[in-house]
Amino acid sequence: MTEIAPTMVEAIGVRKHFAGVEVLKGVDLTVGRGEVACLIGPSGSGKSTFLRCINHLEKHDAGELLVDGQLVGYELRNGKLYERNDKQICAERARIGMVFQRFNLFQHLTVLENITIGQVRVLRVREDAARARARELLERVGLAGRDGYYPAQLSGGQQQRVAIARALAMDPKLMLFDEPTSALDPELVGEVLDVMRDLARSGMTMIVVTHEMGFAREVASTVYFLDAGIIEESGDPREVLANPTSPRLQNFLSKVL
Amino acid sequence: MSTDGDGSIKVVPVRHVGRWIGVAAALVVVAMIVHTLLSRLPTGQKACRGTGTSRVCHAVTEWRFSWDVVFHYFTTSEILHGLLITLELTVIAMAVGIVLGMILAVMRLSPNRVLSGTAWTYTWFFRGTPVLVQLLVWYNIAILYPRISLGIPFLHVSFLVLHTSTTFTALEAACIALGLNEAAYMSEIARAGLLSVDEGQVEAATSIGMVRRQTLRYVVMPQAMRVIIPPTGNEVISMLKTSSLASVISVIELLGAATNIYSANYEIMPLLLTASLWYLVVTTVLSIGQFYLERYFARGALRTAPPTPLQRMRHDLAGVLAKFPNRRGVAGALER
Repeated sequence: MTEIAPTMVEAIGVRKHFAGVEVLKGVDLTVGRGEVACLIGPSGSGKSTFLRCINHLEKHDAGELLVDGQLVGYELRNGKLYERNDKQICAERARIGMVFQRFNLFQHLTVLENITIGQVRVLRVREDAARARARELLERVGLAGRDGYYPAQLSGGQQQRVAIARALAMDPKLMLFDEPTSALDPELVGEVLDVMRDLARSGMTMIVVTHEMGFAREVASTVYFLDAGIIEESGDPREVLANPTSPRLQNFLSKVL
Repeated sequence: MSTDGDGSIKVVPVRHVGRWIGVAAALVVVAMIVHTLLSRLPTGQKACRGTGTSRVCHAVTEWRFSWDVVFHYFTTSEILHGLLITLELTVIAMAVGIVLGMILAVMRLSPNRVLSGTAWTYTWFFRGTPVLVQLLVWYNIAILYPRISLGIPFLHVSFLVLHTSTTFTALEAACIALGLNEAAYMSEIARAGLLSVDEGQVEAATSIGMVRRQTLRYVVMPQAMRVIIPPTGNEVISMLKTSSLASVISVIELLGAATNIYSANYEIMPLLLTASLWYLVVTTVLSIGQFYLERYFARGALRTAPPTPLQRMRHDLAGVLAKFPNRRGVAGALER
């Protein structure tokens, strides 16, 4: 029915402001299928806001944002943009996985229930099938046998891996990571990055907001340097991170590396 | 530095002098209360045994608190019927209050100003007027609205007509008045609970495609319950006692039954005690229920569930027994 769009995410001049402050001043970005885009930049540069626009947790004010060839949050009919209703937006969102800086696991549910609830309530998968899939995913993120634990009983790294499994359970076509390792103790960062590396290798399309330059250099297809609401520089990570041309990126890298 | 024979340093615990004085004072007060509760008074009559020179007389006494009368009425059918009405009032009024309160709380948090304003006004009105006045108003509602009809607003079309003076009993008026009043308080409790859930939980639910209603039901509500239940337990216990106000609109609940009896036989204090004891019994049962409910909804919030009173008692007992070395086996068994 629908033709397969060549790109997964396409942003053209995306703008967003909060209470008079313009956070995104026209962001252009293209992520192809199976590619991994890393967004780097100083805090307050708009990286997280842009990520949250992609699954419509934030509404962008201007510009075009397409996911899998479809406008995010709107529908173009007869030359007019119709705002989609809550149900349509949620259906779109279900296929875009998101991993948060602070994990945001459902505290009152066990690890297994965290991974099954979306399948059962949103995708209407049968309970036993959902549980089987959840166990499979837990094994994939290296947490087999932790089914009955509550999030509060796990370490930060383990919680984040459960959060990744929860997102994967929705069978996403795109995964968004919002600084997934920033809230972790240094020795736990590796286990989460390993899972993400595997995911990238398996062909998942990913957009990752990160401060892990090593990860960006190794995994990213393209790295974007966002500063003060615009993309200052972008390109192949080995090139951009090794020989930055803009003074701002040079300055930024000198601080983080 | 002084050391024991085996080289380890002896630890001297801090002496809590003030605490021990407090304990002594508390014990004296408790002893006084127990004493007065169990005290007997002379009736002014004498009872005698035997005849002639072997005749022995002593003053007749009776309980100061007339415990015999208290327990005589404790299980009479009037009191038990009154208790049943009290429980009915409490359950119905709380059910109305909780359901309506939840709806009001969700409305209050709605981004729509009309919905949140309506909920705010409701709380303002029902919390701002005395519940006794509300009871009297609902009891006399027939003066304002002799008939209530179900139809289309502002049009003279009605499907169902009720004559309030005949169909509206005092008990129903009390249920409505107490329930609507309670909803105002419950809405604030529910709102506090909903606000206590971290924003990130909502975002996570949203990001896996849940709509607002699902997020509320599966993610926010269950976590809000942890905050909502303790004050709600308070409200239930409070309602149990507030329901006694219904006696002013001629509902014969527990207190009403007690006053009915003592207005006939003048045993005022014993009957008030009978009613009070029943209130205490029900409150105790409710408190136990609340403990286990709280424990259930605390899952996930704490690494380990709080111990039940039975577990705590066993633990305390084991601690005491452990002070006697030869009983160590018993203490160990209890700890297990």
